[in-house]
Amino acid sequence: VQSEQSEVIDLDKWKYVMKSQASFQEQRLSGNEGPSEDAGILNESGADLKDSSSLDATRELVSMWRQAGKLVPQEMTEEEVRLLADLTTKASRKKYLKYLAIKEGHKLSRKEKQQKKKAEREASVKEKRELDIGQNQDGHNFKNTIILQFWDRSLDKLLAWRTAQAMIFGQPLVFDMSYESNMSRRELENTVSQLLEVEGWNRRAPDPFHLHFCNLQPDGTYKKELVKRYGEETWERLLITTTKQHYIELFPREQLVYLTADSPNVLRTFDHSKVYIVGALVDRSIQTGLSLANAKRLKLATARLPLDEFLHWDVGAKNLTLDQVIRIMLTIKETGKWEEALKFVPTRKHDGFHQKLTQT
Amino acid sequence: QLPSFPKSVFAAGTAKKIARIQQKKASLVSEDEEEPQRRTNRGAGKLQPPERPLPPDEWRKMKESLGNPNSFDCQMMTSLVTAGSDLDIAKSLLTFVAMETGTLSYELLLRYLTLCVIGGHDDEVFDVYKIMRGSFPSMDTGASTLFIKSFSRTERWKEAVGILQEVKKVFTPSQRNYHDVIAAAVQHGDTATAWSLYDELITNGKIPHQDTWDALFTCVKKTKEEEEEPEHQEKLLRILLYMRNNQIYPQESVAVKIRTWFESLKGPKWTGGWSSITPKGVCRCCGSELESIQLSAEEYQELKDKVMTDVIQGRDVFNKTTPEELERFKVFVKRKPAFDVVIDGLNVANINKDKNKQSDTLLAVVSALEDQGLNVLVLGRKHMLRPSRFWSKHNMSLIQQKAHCFFTDNISEDDPFLLYATLHSGNHCRFVSRDLMRDHKACLPDGASRRLFFKWQRGHQLVIGGHVAPGRSIRFQSIPEYDTIVQTTGDSWHIPYDDTEDRSTYEVPLRWLCLTKKH
Repeated sequence: VQSEQSEVIDLDKWKYVMKSQASFQEQRLSGNEGPSEDAGILNESGADLKDSSSLDATRELVSMWRQAGKLVPQEMTEEEVRLLADLTTKASRKKYLKYLAIKEGHKLSRKEKQQKKKAEREASVKEKRELDIGQNQDGHNFKNTIILQFWDRSLDKLLAWRTAQAMIFGQPLVFDMSYESNMSRRELENTVSQLLEVEGWNRRAPDPFHLHFCNLQPDGTYKKELVKRYGEETWERLLITTTKQHYIELFPREQLVYLTADSPNVLRTFDHSKVYIVGALVDRSIQTGLSLANAKRLKLATARLPLDEFLHWDVGAKNLTLDQVIRIMLTIKETGKWEEALKFVPTRKHDGFHQKLTQT
Repeated sequence: QLPSFPKSVFAAGTAKKIARIQQKKASLVSEDEEEPQRRTNRGAGKLQPPERPLPPDEWRKMKESLGNPNSFDCQMMTSLVTAGSDLDIAKSLLTFVAMETGTLSYELLLRYLTLCVIGGHDDEVFDVYKIMRGSFPSMDTGASTLFIKSFSRTERWKEAVGILQEVKKVFTPSQRNYHDVIAAAVQHGDTATAWSLYDELITNGKIPHQDTWDALFTCVKKTKEEEEEPEHQEKLLRILLYMRNNQIYPQESVAVKIRTWFESLKGPKWTGGWSSITPKGVCRCCGSELESIQLSAEEYQELKDKVMTDVIQGRDVFNKTTPEELERFKVFVKRKPAFDVVIDGLNVANINKDKNKQSDTLLAVVSALEDQGLNVLVLGRKHMLRPSRFWSKHNMSLIQQKAHCFFTDNISEDDPFLLYATLHSGNHCRFVSRDLMRDHKACLPDGASRRLFFKWQRGHQLVIGGHVAPGRSIRFQSIPEYDTIVQTTGDSWHIPYDDTEDRSTYEVPLRWLCLTKKH
């Protein structure tokens, strides 16, 4: 029965289907491709043109990878293609494309969610309006309240007052922006994202630090990226101190303590009279001892957070993100309790606190 | 009972062997440790491929029974590839999809192509090639690689060269791509193409596959009768020199081919033999002496400078030490007479598991070396001088009497100082440490200086073998006097080769191919 059946099935039928399509496509292509092939010959002469042809080839390759089911973005900007073509190895190109694809995926899903929300909101507004019309006939459409609605603007004002006070009376906390040359573009972008969060957490704290961004070069990439992310106007009105000066010039040396995970000294108690320094650095390539070297050069005191002293460390590096560090510092400043402060260490990195484990 | 290790930490297979022994020990302690679960191949387990070609109706039924998944066709094709199914089944699937949707996706064809290439259906590959060329503007790297592989096996291998050129527009083709085409060219007697592609591969800075060498050494046997023979000979000898310069060792199969090639040469007769080398550096097969492990004067100076600039100072002196400390150390080394042995104090002290006897262990090693009349330097950190449970004051003062000592700051690294002190003292000076120094080797900027460092390390590192206990004499692993590298004297070749898969990157093979010319 089996052999009979396989005879019945025309196994090569798909070939005819594809071939008939192919001839169709060929006709279409030959109509289109004429001038572009000429351009290909011309390309050999001019360097500019050649450059653009290599970009086209790159674009084409990405499109074929997409068809082959690889993780690549649907759309790429001119700049992204250029960056991709500049990468030399296959691995680095794949990595970059994967990064773009994931980014694109997030963006799309966010848009989808926004649209869904918008539709829901419109539906509920409509519903409410219908209800209002019904109520209007009874004449009960006004609410009676003591205070005006508490707008976001009011909160912003309140927080701004607090941060302004911190700028006059608050304890300084320095971010050392001297690592521009030690980071790749991606790392620098990550650093700036973290700095944005740092400023946000600080602003919302009951007793904020007076943030200093030191060694911030006026024409450096840090500055450019920060201004780009905040927008010119907001950046100018930000309640932090930014300076191209070195922290050594701003504060007495004996007050300074450089926080670095490579330090041999443990920060046991938070000192309200010290100026703590945090390196504004994302280090994906494991450059051990980079900030410690800086502190050694300036003969500064150094300290690391008491992570091993309080936590059963499990996996991951001991260097924390900048936003985690500021939340830890804000909490320890407010409460003086490491158990409270170290709650901001990501839980995937440890198995809980020492005391808790001994209690149970 | 003590496990018996080969003589040196740098001998092939030692690392794996130690790892296995340690694993055994660990498994005795905790036997309930679970085996890590093997990840099942995605998609392969989900779909059961059919046993025979199905008519479209049955495919449709199967798809519907699975709830009409989106990528049913691709998933099914993947499971056919993993199961190594018959080509006809795959064809029937394609027919079903083509009838259902009116076309086939690139991804599906690519997977079908994989099935064809793995199954060796080269004629079918030609058809797929025509179809893919006709339907799609270009090919991705996966398809190119498969086509190159398949075309190279057939009479149409020249087209593979064309595809390779196409790949080059966007990418440097992989070693595997080059290998396929080179092997094809060799097979069809087109040695000119083979060599030009090989040269291209080398210029691109890629290290060729062992199989490529295998092919090239086989090829010349065929074209032996032709006139261009001297040129081929020279090129093949250049491969051997390439291995020498890059410290690459051929696999056993390649070594066999090399031997056969040498023995087939006309003119003075070559004889080959499988051999090993005595610790003194004499070939057990032909009795000649091998190249010394010692560095030449220029090499030595070069290495010394590189270690100073790249390992100790690096991009930032403060990373590993401070300028003051470095200066202090330089003055110290200059003031002292040249040392015979430099000891990594902390490393040696930690040989024994028992932490309480750190200073005892160090003292035992220092005394043993001092008894031999050697001028010893001990490098350590300042914390060792602070009397404690681990570091008794008495022992430390004895050590300081018997040897010169230099203590770095507690946050400085001591290894770079060890390297420099040893190199500074001259070619006769050795150092004692169990550390394989891989992180310091990695600080060197290029492959050549790393190989130089490794050669020096093999010739100058003393590794303590076995335990250190009071009253027991201290034994060091023997240092070979010869360099393990492809080498020639014109009338002879000595080629170390891999006969085991167990060699780690910082180990060297123990087996040799010995080739001698008889006059």
